[in-house]
Amino acid sequence: MKLIEALNILERVKQRKGESVTCFVATGMNTLHLGTFLAAELGLIYSDRRTDIRHGLYGDFLGNLERLGGSESDCAVVLMEWPDLDPRLGLRTVCSWSPSTCNDIVSSVRKRTLRVRQTIEETCQRIPVVVCPPTLPIPPLSFVPGSQASSLEIDLHDLVQSFASDVSHSAQARLLSSQRLDMLSPLRERLDVKSELLSGFPYKLGHASALAGLIARLAAAPVPKKGLITDLDDTLWRGILGEVGVQGVSWDLDHHSQMHAFYQCFVNALSSEGVLLAVASKNEPELVKQAFSRKDLILTPNSVFPIEVGWKPKSESVTRILKTWNVGAESVVFIDDTAMELAEVKAAHPEIECVQFPTNDSAAVYELVVRMRDLFGKRMILQEDSIRLDSIRHRQTNAASIEAAQAVPNSFLDQVEAEISFDFTKAPLDPRALELVNKTNQFNLNGRRYTQASWQKYLLDPSSFLATVSYKDKFGPLGKIAVVAGRRSEKLNIDIWVMSCRAFSRRIEYRCLEELFAKFDVEEIELDYLETERNQPLSQFLAEILGRAPFPHCDISRQDVANRFAEIRRCQDMTNG
Amino acid sequence: MDEIRTRLANCFAAVFPELSDQEIIHASSTTVPGWDSVTGVTLLTVVEEEFGISIEEDDPARFDSFDRILVYLQDISRS
Repeated sequence: MKLIEALNILERVKQRKGESVTCFVATGMNTLHLGTFLAAELGLIYSDRRTDIRHGLYGDFLGNLERLGGSESDCAVVLMEWPDLDPRLGLRTVCSWSPSTCNDIVSSVRKRTLRVRQTIEETCQRIPVVVCPPTLPIPPLSFVPGSQASSLEIDLHDLVQSFASDVSHSAQARLLSSQRLDMLSPLRERLDVKSELLSGFPYKLGHASALAGLIARLAAAPVPKKGLITDLDDTLWRGILGEVGVQGVSWDLDHHSQMHAFYQCFVNALSSEGVLLAVASKNEPELVKQAFSRKDLILTPNSVFPIEVGWKPKSESVTRILKTWNVGAESVVFIDDTAMELAEVKAAHPEIECVQFPTNDSAAVYELVVRMRDLFGKRMILQEDSIRLDSIRHRQTNAASIEAAQAVPNSFLDQVEAEISFDFTKAPLDPRALELVNKTNQFNLNGRRYTQASWQKYLLDPSSFLATVSYKDKFGPLGKIAVVAGRRSEKLNIDIWVMSCRAFSRRIEYRCLEELFAKFDVEEIELDYLETERNQPLSQFLAEILGRAPFPHCDISRQDVANRFAEIRRCQDMTNG
Repeated sequence: MDEIRTRLANCFAAVFPELSDQEIIHASSTTVPGWDSVTGVTLLTVVEEEFGISIEEDDPARFDSFDRILVYLQDISRS
């Protein structure tokens, strides 16, 4: 991004009416153009919000770190360059360069990285913290020629690596990838000596732009894609199965098709991380079955569900896959080598991300996998990720019995030995609760999304409560599947109510209401309901209880729920004869 | 020369979005309230980026108005 583009974007962002996203940058440098780029990049990600970049005092890195703790920002960036770790590593401080100075610098950097780490640990309990270790070259303080690595250079990098390793193991802090930055911004194109001396801003524009782009993506942490639908021929393997046969398709070095093996490895990795995998292929089902039985297939066939193979338009296969997964097209990537197939699927599902698998271009396949890693990347793998596919399989296997049992829910829940548990512990750092709130569309009270900072602020309010609902039955656990949050006053106000689509048809929503009435001993619950484009399942459920379409701030009484339960029981008695 | 003027005006418009086209061509550090040291640095950086040049700012007064910057750019385009 050019600076003039960033300024123009920023001007448009300023006109927005939405709430501001505030980001505090703790650094000792002048943030100048980096702040402009960062505000613009955040403005592109948060398309309806204004952006506000805050910073502390110039030259006071440690003081600014302390200010971070007291700031009311949505996110924070700890951006340190070598002079922030020791001023003698900067251009603006004059000191004697000698071997003893070098030893002393290493010693002071060691102490300072420890202090920075402690502050980050404390701050990231409240808000997301993006951490950027030094990005600029170390000045030539050491006596060795530049082509030789000096002990100063090695020791300083070792200290920063050790610091970075500690930060990377924190569940809350987000460490900027130096490898990705290296790819975007060559080391020799980073330091702007003139600008550093003139204004205290040490970055060339290209470097500032690349760095701001990465920081913004880390700070905003876009919701990862949930599912990948892949083609088979010339995608998962090289060759057309129907033409060359089961033994003719390949994914190895001997057949110059190694990048298909690389792709299979990546797809397998996605599966182990909880991403849903499916196949949509125009092929003979029996041939695909045989190919999937090959012992040398890298992809684990069990990790793919469903497998849609036939000769009808692929968009129809995709429709069935989305229905089976019960996820929206916007959460899914479809990969195929044929532009026409991609266009056909895109026409039927405009929100799906369609990606062409490159033909005979190994480097492009590598780039594709790098890009996919960005789309599917997540900060941590939760227990729910590991059980997602199994629960979808079980739902499919038991679809008929689930549907039949909808009218007689209690008997169904008894049959499957269902256990629904409620945890009322307020755990602001539980990533699963916030993930559910921000990813759930269909059973969602109002569609409101929360940043980590606003979520923690909400839960720190003494009048607020949080209920996390877990479910398991004889088929296995679904993990945490619902979140209810609200405030207690004369009646109970529910601000947030979401439930994973995997938990539908089990009447867990009724149990939630029962539990809330019992736990808080209230007669009425007020719901901060808003109709959204996609929350029809929740709207229908409320309509069942209210006997009319729900509306903003509608009340549900204990009696309403009791009446509905009585009705369900009458249906159950009639069904049982 | 008109092209240089237009491109420079675009730079001014990005840094001082509140100025009209007419105000831009008469802009100087004394007439534009928002023209401080930070916006001055930003303006010169945008100009450097737009024209692919490096301005050695030994005399800040040389770059304190639209006219002066325009003259500077016209000079270096001739040389």
